[in-house]
Amino acid sequence: MNGAISSLRILPAEIDTAALRPENESGAGFREVLHSAIDDIQQLEGQAETKVAGVLQGNGADVHSAMIAVEKADLSFQLMMQVRNKIVSAYQEISRMQF
Amino acid sequence: MNLFGMLEVSGSALAAERWRAEVVSANMANAETTRTPQGGAYRRQLVVFRARPLPRFPVLLASLQQKPQEGVRVDRVVTDHTPLPRRYEPGHPDADAAGYVTYPNVNPVMEMTDLLSAVRAYQLNAAAVQAAKSMIQQSLQILS
Repeated sequence: MNGAISSLRILPAEIDTAALRPENESGAGFREVLHSAIDDIQQLEGQAETKVAGVLQGNGADVHSAMIAVEKADLSFQLMMQVRNKIVSAYQEISRMQF
Repeated sequence: MNLFGMLEVSGSALAAERWRAEVVSANMANAETTRTPQGGAYRRQLVVFRARPLPRFPVLLASLQQKPQEGVRVDRVVTDHTPLPRRYEPGHPDADAAGYVTYPNVNPVMEMTDLLSAVRAYQLNAAAVQAAKSMIQQSLQILS
């Protein structure tokens, strides 16, 4: 009986916790990813703003390219919001966890 | 594969078609012009389109793309060298010794057809922009 249980024991070599340890985390964290996404979107919004201002001031900017730039900024923002909502809801799910 | 690339391609087509409509309008406006800076009657202008590979855009929705998308641009605006029609109008200040006035080689019917074609092509590409936008929104709704 005892022999049977001890044979079920997981050998230390089989437990690989290295991947679970935060110091072995590779790549950028959520914060950096969100920051770079927001920077990208700010860049797109800046482009959209410049183009819309160009159209309104009448210095030869195309109306359609301004509209496309606005649309791009809007879609990127929507994507960022979707990802953020998903990650925040995952975080809240974990924080509600009962032990 | 790049959804924003679709917007870029359609955007370049919109710009090209707008330019074409502008050239057609210039032709229509000068259908009766007998004096130009180069001298003589106005000559009909034509646009020549050329396929253009678009640069890659490092933006959020862009992913790796294998080949460049083909946008379009106006390669150049050329002059139509068909012979200019001559009309007998002896009273006209630009009439020659025989009383004939050289008029532009602009056919209003042809210009109107070209204009309609440019407007329809613009609508076509605007519809493609709408389709690209709704595709991106559909893919965003996967997450919600």
